[in-house]
Amino acid sequence: MCYVLCSVKRLSVHCGLVLIVLLAGCGRNERMEAVYAQRCLNCHGVSGRGDGPMAASLPVTPPDFRDTVERKSNPQIRRLIADGKGLMPAFEPALSASEINDMLQMVRFLSREGRQISWWEKFDLLVVAHCSIPWEAVLGYDEPSAEKKL
Amino acid sequence: MSALRGWGFCRIGLAFLLNCTSLAGAANAPHSTLKPVERRQVNLPIADFSLTDQGGKSFQFKNLRGKVVVVAFAYTTCPDVCPLITAALRQVQGKLTIDERKDSYLLTVTTDPEIDSPKVLTGYAKRYGAELDSWSFLTGSETALRSVWKNFGVGVKRKGRGQVDHTPLTAIVDRHGVLRVAFIGASPDVSVVLDDIRALLAER
Repeated sequence: MCYVLCSVKRLSVHCGLVLIVLLAGCGRNERMEAVYAQRCLNCHGVSGRGDGPMAASLPVTPPDFRDTVERKSNPQIRRLIADGKGLMPAFEPALSASEINDMLQMVRFLSREGRQISWWEKFDLLVVAHCSIPWEAVLGYDEPSAEKKL
Repeated sequence: MSALRGWGFCRIGLAFLLNCTSLAGAANAPHSTLKPVERRQVNLPIADFSLTDQGGKSFQFKNLRGKVVVVAFAYTTCPDVCPLITAALRQVQGKLTIDERKDSYLLTVTTDPEIDSPKVLTGYAKRYGAELDSWSFLTGSETALRSVWKNFGVGVKRKGRGQVDHTPLTAIVDRHGVLRVAFIGASPDVSVVLDDIRALLAER
């Protein structure tokens, strides 16, 4: 009984937080812009079109986010940022999970500028924002059952 | 004694020139401004050093005596010139003949030991397709690295986690451990580097 009550409580907190995120909007913010400017802008450019100041010196042209990001899922982009690809550095050793999420959201924002957005893409940022909430810290960890303790 | 003093001045002069042209420039100018690569002929003996390679093993610079060594300074999370330097070195390695490879070696020395552990360097080497029989990626304690940076006249300034301003130096060291050619800039011309390596290989 206690467990059920606890679960209901958790669920309501969960829904409440999702609602707050939804109401607050998952807008582009300074943190995202800063991490993008520090790590991505040189090659990908201010608007993510692959026209950064370094782009001309690279042996390969950086992609235009408007052409490539739509086809990739959030975990795929997150993996790419974390592990790097070709000349692009692997940022996982230097960035926290939330910084990688900021970078991901910024990439999504830039990929939408000046193109028609598919309906499902409108929910992407909500999903990213939801996933970047440290749920364990908010809701606490599940207590291991008595059987497992033994 | 006077000769030693001469080397000392030479080292200070090189460090001063490298720092003036690149590190200070990088700090003041927009981070991404690419300057043309500058090639300088120098004559600077490099003191032996010991660091750790990408496999976690101890690496002694003196073991490369008798080989022409290309030494580049870079860090793995660099979003600026380091990828271009490493890509250029990969091309150099690919263009050396089997015989030339036996008598030459490539080194990438990190400028960010905080991030660049042997494991991180292994991943970096793999991403660039570096062949590790004639290329090592070196890291170490900040103290050990600082003396190597100083030896080569490389200025390093940490800006934040995974962000470092440093002299973009690619150096060629001859068979006797003397730094002979210094490229300062984003991406040294592969054919020029190859010519310099071959010229130094021809020296006995």
